[in-house]
Amino acid sequence: MRIEGSEQVEEAVSLAQQAEWQDITPIEQEEGEGSMCPIAYTDEYRELMGYLRAVMAVGEVSERALSLTARVIEENPGHYTVWVYRKRLVEELESDIAEELDWVCDISRKFPKNYQLWHHRESLVTRLWAPSSALLVSEDQRITNPVLRRELQFLDAAIDEDSKNFHAWSYRQWLVSTYALWTQELVFVDTMVNQDVRNNSAWNQRYFAMLANRNPSVVRLEPDVAKSEIEYVVEHIKLAPNNDSPWSYVTGLLLRHAPSMLYTDLLPRIKQLAADNAYQAAMTLTPFYWSALLDIYEQQAADHPDLKKQLVDESSAICDQLASETDIIHCRYWNFRKTSLDTC
Amino acid sequence: MVVDLDLTAHARYFKFCLNMLPSEAVSQDASRMTIAHLCLVGLATLGQLNDTLSETRRAQMVDWIYEQQIPRAGAYAGFRGGSLFGPHSSCSYAPANSANLAATYSALCSLLLLGDDLSRVDKHAILGAMRQLQLESGTFVPHPGTNEHDPRFIYCACAISSILNDWSGVDKDAATRYIAECSNYDGGMTQARFQESHGGHLYCCVASLSLMKKMDALPDRQRTLKWALFRQGGGYHGRTNKVPDVCYSFWIGAVVEMLGGHDFVDTGAVAYFIRQCEADIGGLAKWPGYRPDPLHASLGIVGYSFCCPEKFPRMSPELLLPESVLEAHRARQTQ
Repeated sequence: MRIEGSEQVEEAVSLAQQAEWQDITPIEQEEGEGSMCPIAYTDEYRELMGYLRAVMAVGEVSERALSLTARVIEENPGHYTVWVYRKRLVEELESDIAEELDWVCDISRKFPKNYQLWHHRESLVTRLWAPSSALLVSEDQRITNPVLRRELQFLDAAIDEDSKNFHAWSYRQWLVSTYALWTQELVFVDTMVNQDVRNNSAWNQRYFAMLANRNPSVVRLEPDVAKSEIEYVVEHIKLAPNNDSPWSYVTGLLLRHAPSMLYTDLLPRIKQLAADNAYQAAMTLTPFYWSALLDIYEQQAADHPDLKKQLVDESSAICDQLASETDIIHCRYWNFRKTSLDTC
Repeated sequence: MVVDLDLTAHARYFKFCLNMLPSEAVSQDASRMTIAHLCLVGLATLGQLNDTLSETRRAQMVDWIYEQQIPRAGAYAGFRGGSLFGPHSSCSYAPANSANLAATYSALCSLLLLGDDLSRVDKHAILGAMRQLQLESGTFVPHPGTNEHDPRFIYCACAISSILNDWSGVDKDAATRYIAECSNYDGGMTQARFQESHGGHLYCCVASLSLMKKMDALPDRQRTLKWALFRQGGGYHGRTNKVPDVCYSFWIGAVVEMLGGHDFVDTGAVAYFIRQCEADIGGLAKWPGYRPDPLHASLGIVGYSFCCPEKFPRMSPELLLPESVLEAHRARQTQ
């Protein structure tokens, strides 16, 4: 109940006392003796649900039903059938979609991690501007369109609030893919990585933006693109060598899309960094550097069997070092990795 | 390991939750079946289920669960998430009284935990409805009328099929193809192709493959195991560069078990983190010093059992059930 000053706001008046609802008999919830995890409902929620059950039971299509679904969702956005009902009401009442999106925006702030809210958003956005129409204009025109601009602003705010909100990032991927906003995405990702070099959601988004919806199993990276990515990663490793994200990104990217460049290009660059006085200590102490070397040598040995013995010897020494000094918590894994080197 | 979990306090916590959840839990009103399942799993892992809940209470709970089974053909069949939908007889608009895959999975597990033989389960209705929830891409929606889809629901479909020992509701090849696409550049797995590697979705993907007996479909099993193992820095976290959260003791811990990596884990460190998450009032919280909730309490305790298996009933990593309960169920099925 919202109480302003000493007066109750209109909406907080019990439904039973409202003329609009006189024709409805609320339906009570049934609980047996074996009721499991019953919730100590507030009187307000209990009453709202009684009326909602009554209108949903017959599938009533009306403005009062629509506003009732809003009130219930604001208490419990996880009520999955209410969303199905609301979607139907919005369609059949021909509600203003922009206003519906306004409402979703308002409650999204309260429930940033609710799955149904984000999915409801998706269906509203595609109704407001069909992707097939959107793709007829340029990307610049698409991002200045009020619908998409608003979604991008909303996402900025959500990610600003919680830079790793999984739902926000995955909705962002949906928006960028559906409306082909690839150019602006690389810029956005770069901004986020520079804001927090340890934000793995941002690094993951870089992979997403690089591939731009192409099927990973058929993508080969052009050498100049791969080199540019290696440089980008090395510059960010310098900011914080003991940071999983850029290491996973570059080894994963190359392993999938330019495997030989793991040892022709990445290897010399990271060895150069490790030999640089300014970074030597930090590089030696981070498990990610040594683990990357193992991945690189494994690929190199697979491609060049003549070098295998030497690479296995070096890798063996690295596993020992990781197990005994650099990454002791995972020592059992490194010991196992050492024993499986020969069988690679 | 000198200090151990406060088993009595946690059993008491689950008992309280089964009896009543506070008003703040209203956002879980449609997921009570899942919360109930988690409480029962917690009690079962502590070896306290039959001591905490009398035979009468267990029978009453079984009846309550069956009251959530949608009786009519035509409406989406299975189990609904709670009784907030009202009496079945009052509803002529079918979507208002709908089951969903997660609640159906939790209902079946809960029935087994309470000692029921599933004889009142309408298996054909559940499997028939399930077929319609699988999309062409291979993933599942949880109920009709939504565009929400992800590995959680593939997992629920696989778990239901495994428990009912009937895969007619799942196109396994399509589901496997979808899961394989969820494999990410870092060896992790995620909700949909290109999204960030995530421990919860990793669990759903790997457990689904295990249940379908399609583990060979993992593009690089060793790399995936490594990703899972490297979520440990003390306790387990769920995504790269995030802080540990006790629920990943299960999501990641179970994946490590399924991929044969148990011997590579510093189980002492994981167990230590889990104990840090114990709350004074009983239960476990996601982080040390935070408020407990049934999900983190249950998953933390199951995760703890993976760390010291000799002290607890053996828990299935693929299904949130004790192995003994599963074995008894399989034995009944073959009779």
